[in-house]
Amino acid sequence: MRTNQNQYVISIMSRDRVGIVHEVSQSICDLDGNIADIRQSVLCGYFTMILLASFPSSVSHRDIERKLAEVDARSETAIDVAVKKVDVDGRPSGKTIPDNAYVLTATGPDRVGFVATVSSFCANNNINILDLSTTSANGEYVMILITDLSKCPSMEAIRRDLQDFAREKGLRIVLQHYDIFRAVNEINLPIH
Amino acid sequence: MIQSDEILNTVDMIQKENLDVRAVTMGISLLDCHREDAAATCQAIKKKIEHHAANLVSTCEAISSEYAIPVVNKRIAVTPISHVGAGFKADDFVDMAIALDEAAANVGVDILGGFSADVSNGFTRWDREMIDAIPEALCRTRKVCSSVNVGTTRSGINMDAIVLLGQTVKDLAEKTADQGGFGAAKFVVFTNQPGDNPFMAGAVHGLGQHEVMINVGVSGPGVIARALERKITQSGRENLGLHDLAEEIKRTAFRVTRSGELIGRQVAKTLSIPFGVVDLSLAPTPNIGDSVGEIMQILGVDAVGAPGSTAIIAMLNDAVKKGGTFASQSVGGLSGAFIPVCEDRTLAYAVRDGSLVLEKLEAMTCVCSVGLDMIAIPGSVDAATISAIMADEMAIGMINNKTTAVRIIPVPGKEAGEMVSFGGLFGESAIAPVRNVGKSKRFVEFGGKIPAPIHSLRN
Repeated sequence: MRTNQNQYVISIMSRDRVGIVHEVSQSICDLDGNIADIRQSVLCGYFTMILLASFPSSVSHRDIERKLAEVDARSETAIDVAVKKVDVDGRPSGKTIPDNAYVLTATGPDRVGFVATVSSFCANNNINILDLSTTSANGEYVMILITDLSKCPSMEAIRRDLQDFAREKGLRIVLQHYDIFRAVNEINLPIH
Repeated sequence: MIQSDEILNTVDMIQKENLDVRAVTMGISLLDCHREDAAATCQAIKKKIEHHAANLVSTCEAISSEYAIPVVNKRIAVTPISHVGAGFKADDFVDMAIALDEAAANVGVDILGGFSADVSNGFTRWDREMIDAIPEALCRTRKVCSSVNVGTTRSGINMDAIVLLGQTVKDLAEKTADQGGFGAAKFVVFTNQPGDNPFMAGAVHGLGQHEVMINVGVSGPGVIARALERKITQSGRENLGLHDLAEEIKRTAFRVTRSGELIGRQVAKTLSIPFGVVDLSLAPTPNIGDSVGEIMQILGVDAVGAPGSTAIIAMLNDAVKKGGTFASQSVGGLSGAFIPVCEDRTLAYAVRDGSLVLEKLEAMTCVCSVGLDMIAIPGSVDAATISAIMADEMAIGMINNKTTAVRIIPVPGKEAGEMVSFGGLFGESAIAPVRNVGKSKRFVEFGGKIPAPIHSLRN
């Protein structure tokens, strides 16, 4: 990041259509903003994007909001925008998944509160969720969490508690180091 | 970033399709354990094994839990014991087997290999003593496995050894008649035996290896069978050629091998010892859905042993190697598809139903690892006929420059068609008929040596 720059995290949501990424990125470019990282996804016809960009210190928080509001005004779909100034060292590490990540898969019958149940275990055990997706397979609901367990004091305790939790809630839960997924799906062998 | 469908496929491979690491085998050189007498040598052997393998089982379990991939067996392979007991007598070798068994039990491994000798080009006095000791050694121990290498492509086949070992197999079976002759399941005869094979009963820590190392044997017939079924369902049988199925096997073998490579390397790293090889073998288990025979049926023979079976095994064996080689930095051991009859439910059923016979198994061993493996035969088959079966199989290995082995169990008191069960991973099978029993005696009695083939002269 150059000096005299401020970093902002910008979140965009809209009904999906062609051209949203271009319109948003062009307006950031117009403000001399430099995009460092983007995640974009579409779920059930709705577009969402979160991006990290740095702007010259002469560009204010208000300037960015105003510029993106113009995008919304011109757009045929309503575009919700949120802009937050980054107040920590937000330099992208280049790695979205740390070396010591674990994948937790929870499978069971679809029901209200499935995600809340599984995430309650994570919250109560200091497990940070880095990436979360859900899907259904063979008529069951599956939740796939990539997690950071580095704040958990003991892996053995987590595994034991997770087993008890799964039994109590009637779910099948598997916790595996992320490396096994890289090993069997990628060309490079993850040996750190 | 791995996609969620890749994550789910991987979880399914492990949870539903029997992906596991069959064996993490620690090779330990015992060459420095030789002492003046057997008692001191036994002490040194136990001390060395217990020192190096103390944390093997706990390390494997911790790493297995980290990835949620089972490590089915933790094993030890040692220097062929005839080297360690050079100059000793048969009784001394029995004592050494007991020491190996105690050390294996103390460190908690499932099984230990290396009560072995290499006599491919001739015997030493202690090789003969060690061979004499095999029946008693295996009957007085629980975890010890034995093997003898009787031939190589470079030096030919030691027929004198084969004559002795036909009788060894009979003695082993008869001494363990109350267990269906199970003693013979812990003994295997080889040609071109590798020194880095993690699979039993033939694991040894050969000469020319690190002092201590970790080798890994993968498994995964179930994973390959399910992948083939999915491919056929998705694409439709009429749209697929065998080359497409070979490609699917190759890709799946990559995944299977990778899991073994990762676990083996992590175990070696944690224990601070060198990693040796991944043995890319499709090792079946008696579990439903974990069968090489089932893969053969998926690839199109209605009965295992029907014409086409040998071609299928050849293709399977080759595709597994191609996928596995790319997945691993160092491949070794036996590396291929195993066809151990008792340990593979579909093969055992084929023997029971009469579609798979000894001669077809022999043909299949020409194109796969390893040989005639875990085949129960009638207890009435004489030692000379067993020696002749060994000679045939060794000749295949010698001429084709590959490893071949014989592990057959003449089940005392039982005849062809009756059932025998060995339990656990050793499985069960109907007893396979042996044709032309007693008709090879004159051939075997010549003894001597089958000279090395012309293509041994490669310099």
